[in-house]
Amino acid sequence: MNEFSTLVQFFFSGLTSGSVYALIAVSLVIVYKVSLLICFAQGEFFVIGALTMVTLTSKGLPMPLAFACSVLISAAVGALVERFLIRPIRDASVGSLIVMTIAISLALRGLALLIWGKESKILPPFSAGKPIGVFGATLQPQVLWIIGITILVLLVIWLFFEKTTMGVAMRACAENRLGASLMGISTEKAAFLSWAWGSGIGALAGMAVAPLLFMQYSSGVMPMVKGFIAMSVGGLASIVGAVVAGYLLGVVEAYTIGLISSQFSDTIVFTLLIIVLIFKPSGLFGATRSREV
Amino acid sequence: MKKTLVVMAVVTSLFFCTGLFNGAQAQSKTPYKIGFIVPLTGYLSWLGEYMKKGAEVKVEMINRAGGVNGRPLELVSYDDQSLPETATRHAQRLISRDGVVAMMGTGTAVVSGAVSSVANKSKVPAVIQSGYALSDKETFTFNNAHPTDFAISRPMMYFQKKGISRVALLMPIGPLGELGSGIARKHAPTYKITLVGEEKFDVKAPDVTTQLAKLRTLNPQAIMAFTTGEPAALLARNMAQMGMNIPLVVSHGNATPGFLKLVAQTPGTVIVPSGKIMATETLADTDPVKKVVVEFSRAYQAKYGEPANYYSGQQADAVALIAEGLRVTKSDDPVKLRDAIENTKNFPGCNGVYNMSPTDHQGTRTEDMILLTIKDGKWAVLD
Repeated sequence: MNEFSTLVQFFFSGLTSGSVYALIAVSLVIVYKVSLLICFAQGEFFVIGALTMVTLTSKGLPMPLAFACSVLISAAVGALVERFLIRPIRDASVGSLIVMTIAISLALRGLALLIWGKESKILPPFSAGKPIGVFGATLQPQVLWIIGITILVLLVIWLFFEKTTMGVAMRACAENRLGASLMGISTEKAAFLSWAWGSGIGALAGMAVAPLLFMQYSSGVMPMVKGFIAMSVGGLASIVGAVVAGYLLGVVEAYTIGLISSQFSDTIVFTLLIIVLIFKPSGLFGATRSREV
Repeated sequence: MKKTLVVMAVVTSLFFCTGLFNGAQAQSKTPYKIGFIVPLTGYLSWLGEYMKKGAEVKVEMINRAGGVNGRPLELVSYDDQSLPETATRHAQRLISRDGVVAMMGTGTAVVSGAVSSVANKSKVPAVIQSGYALSDKETFTFNNAHPTDFAISRPMMYFQKKGISRVALLMPIGPLGELGSGIARKHAPTYKITLVGEEKFDVKAPDVTTQLAKLRTLNPQAIMAFTTGEPAALLARNMAQMGMNIPLVVSHGNATPGFLKLVAQTPGTVIVPSGKIMATETLADTDPVKKVVVEFSRAYQAKYGEPANYYSGQQADAVALIAEGLRVTKSDDPVKLRDAIENTKNFPGCNGVYNMSPTDHQGTRTEDMILLTIKDGKWAVLD
């Protein structure tokens, strides 16, 4: 094995980790865009989606149907959480709301433990087949699935938020809740839908990356942390930014481990985060215009 | 107030009545109380369940055979919630309140270390089961688990036999990885093994092909990774992805049904050091532990409908060691019991043949471990 194939393997490794981080970052951004809230329970929707799919496929449901059902079930759970736990305190401070999402995260994790137990579950890859070999380096085909799904998600989100009335209304709520409600938009409905979207995409992220990992009730913690970093670097409210930052994070980590040392990978990632936040507080893709009241 | 007094009086008199009633018989059959601290909840609960089942089966077997010195054994069990604080509290309670003759249990070095410290302060013998390394001062503690060293020297012994001399280390970031790395460096020269390189990895990382690609450039013939569970399974999966067809040694904590499920479909050779109880059928008739292992496995299977494993066998050994000590000393005196356990010689158990001494409170040898691998989705004996 030569030097070059090793360098390519580092890149593939980064792509694999990055694909995990990017999708969950997208789901965080969706909720943030509409309700200006960072939902710390996203990691749990990630787990619930993946484990629901494991259960459904093991019951003999075909892969695509299980996939769709799991997204819908998770979206429904997210919507219910918004309706019964977030809406009653929506006028509370952002701090209280964030604490609420942390509480929800712990509760959902406990629920997942009750339903699926402690043992890790395996979800088979979406397509069988050998790893893809390029220049002596290998990539799991599942990573291509994840990249494809990510592009599809970006497209669907773009269509919904730019081209449908409901989508535009939801963006309006994010810009100015009072203004939007004066225009006859139901802000409650918008928040409800944003949670459904966010948890649905969080679940989708979990299902897509599950074949790369081993899924159990607490598997959402690591992706949540990395997804949050990607979200911050990408500019909090930028979906494309979150994706780019997610993959960037994965690749930077891999090359740090490969060329320097695995002991420093976290240090270097957080240093980069600090540098980005100092020089471009709005993130790489964040809007620079200021919000006016 | 009056009511309470009446109730108390009734309860007390009932208590005395039953006491008198059973008095004659109980006098000669007072059970030996063994304190058992076990992680039934918390992150070690998977382990605690096997420990509890193993201890219960062994106690039943001994009592069915007439107990020890005509007295039955009685387990006094407490859940330590996988926490050292709780374990300390329960250990104190077992000694001061329950009056146990000896203690045993629990998982991980930290939690069982807490039990050991109470045992030595109170001078009550404890037989623990973990990677905890005993110091010379802990004269009242025995650790009947295979020492961490064995889990690394045993595979090296096999490598030497197979002519594998170039080994790479891939250790988890953290204390466990440091421990594994140190032990590997210490034992490598003994078995004529060259450690060609070492990488570290984050146990939560979704991919470790970067580290594997770096190690591959050094042409190792095997990789040793001192890690348990999902990260160990991920290494196997990533090695298969990269077509690295060399053995992967993981820690002895992996001989569980859960880990088997994680790697059953992964091609490649995963080596798990373990105890002979995992290979009941393949043991030679001349093997000194065969009888003990087979009898325990049979009783376990009959009671719980599942095969016994490394952890349940290890716990059964702790019960057996304490029982043997009691049999020899015929006394409830903790110091005498300690001395008796310390002088246990040629005592067969599930983990091997125990030979204790004042300088060896562990008892078994490297050769008492076996190496498992996975064939057709099942555990198979490699060496």
